[in-house]
Amino acid sequence: MTFLEVTSFLFDGFKISLLIFAVTLLCGAPLGLPIAFCSMSRFKPLRAVSRIIVWIVRGIPLMLQIFIIYYVPSLVFEWEIWKNLDLAFTTGRELSFAGRVFAVMIAFILNYACYFSEIYRGGIESISKGQYEAGYVLGLNKSQVFRKIVLKQVIQRIVPPMSNEIITLIKDTALANCIMVGEIIYKANILAAEDALIWPLFFSGAFYLLFVGLLTIVLGKIEKKLSYFRS
Amino acid sequence: MAVLEVNNIQKHFGKTEVLKGITFSLERGQVLAIIGSSGSGKTTLLRCLNFLETPDEGTISVDGKTLFDAADHKSLSDEVIRQNRLHFGLVFQNFNLFPQYTVLQNVTLAPSLLKTGTAEEIQSKALSLIEKVGLIEKKESYPCQLSGGQQQRVAIARALAMNPEILCFDEPTSALDPELTGEVLKVIKALKSGDSTMIVVTHEMEFAKNVADKVIFMADGVIEEFGTPEEVFDNPQSPKTKAFLAKSFEEI
Repeated sequence: MTFLEVTSFLFDGFKISLLIFAVTLLCGAPLGLPIAFCSMSRFKPLRAVSRIIVWIVRGIPLMLQIFIIYYVPSLVFEWEIWKNLDLAFTTGRELSFAGRVFAVMIAFILNYACYFSEIYRGGIESISKGQYEAGYVLGLNKSQVFRKIVLKQVIQRIVPPMSNEIITLIKDTALANCIMVGEIIYKANILAAEDALIWPLFFSGAFYLLFVGLLTIVLGKIEKKLSYFRS
Repeated sequence: MAVLEVNNIQKHFGKTEVLKGITFSLERGQVLAIIGSSGSGKTTLLRCLNFLETPDEGTISVDGKTLFDAADHKSLSDEVIRQNRLHFGLVFQNFNLFPQYTVLQNVTLAPSLLKTGTAEEIQSKALSLIEKVGLIEKKESYPCQLSGGQQQRVAIARALAMNPEILCFDEPTSALDPELTGEVLKVIKALKSGDSTMIVVTHEMEFAKNVADKVIFMADGVIEEFGTPEEVFDNPQSPKTKAFLAKSFEEI
């Protein structure tokens, strides 16, 4: 196989990595917000449930969570949802892994939403009480104080830790490999097994490296744009 | 008629009694200075007036209308409290400007959100207030670009933009060095004209003496002494007041 052929073969896999990345970010980031609010709720049972979920999700390896989401429906409830989805999306002779991608995405979204929620909570709790009080004494209500005064300061503070998580996320997508989702590492392994080519496995690192470089530039720009004020 | 009537305000934090029944009234246009040592309840009293703390007992009336009555639970709902706060303004010890907004935006934010007028009215009023506190050339600056004294002057303009009937200052110069203290006190002094009623919690005895119409000396959650500056400073009755004033004017 030529270098170009290998690159194009690996890039097909990297598209799946990027898909998992994008869906996790688009769904996980908003989902983190209600979890953060539950974790800060004054209603104790809700706060307890939310914090226990976050503890469990952050306390178990993500790979194990992928296995749980993937195997538990069929093993415990005899519900073959992922296999059926795989079959439903299969057109040619090769079995589609669409169902497994869904399983991975759900595990990733839950996992990252919990991590994001803790970042949001830390950001919200770091804003001084004086900012809220200054809004209240001017006659603003709670929602106005949060949206117009607190939110932007929170965003400024959470951009650096969020950047960290986002960079970790693209590399974590390699875990999808554990249930045979055709992401880039899986593709590289195929080349190693079928064509006895080991170098594509190491070459796959270049894809991550390039993408992380791009992310670093974009996230750095966002951070810079928000640095016009000091809170 | 009294613009503000405070009757038997009591407040506990846990087992600590911070305010043990505060009663006083204030006429429109008067400046009231509240003095006393740290921990005497001055700030808590101001926070109760601005509904940042809820008193356990007592009533607060403005213009004869009871805003707060500890016995009446209806006066405790979020919306009622929000409405009540509009009668008061509060300038904080540590300014609490909104860092992401410019000076002008800090002043216009609340009036725009609460639609106190048209955009042009709000804008021109804000500009005239910023002019009044002497910061018109800084109107596009962010708080982090200003000195403490300038920030506090912006905070005063911001509070005035909502037209409070009673403007409260919580140790407005305690976070400032002596040079900057002067510029803030000058601004507060200049506001004393006509119908703006002010309550100033302060450690600046000279300011209290020269600017205030009435002075309250607080100690251990009660009003020890209430009167004109002459009465309180030149002829104090309570031994606690005498001891406090002796310490305050002591030459070092």
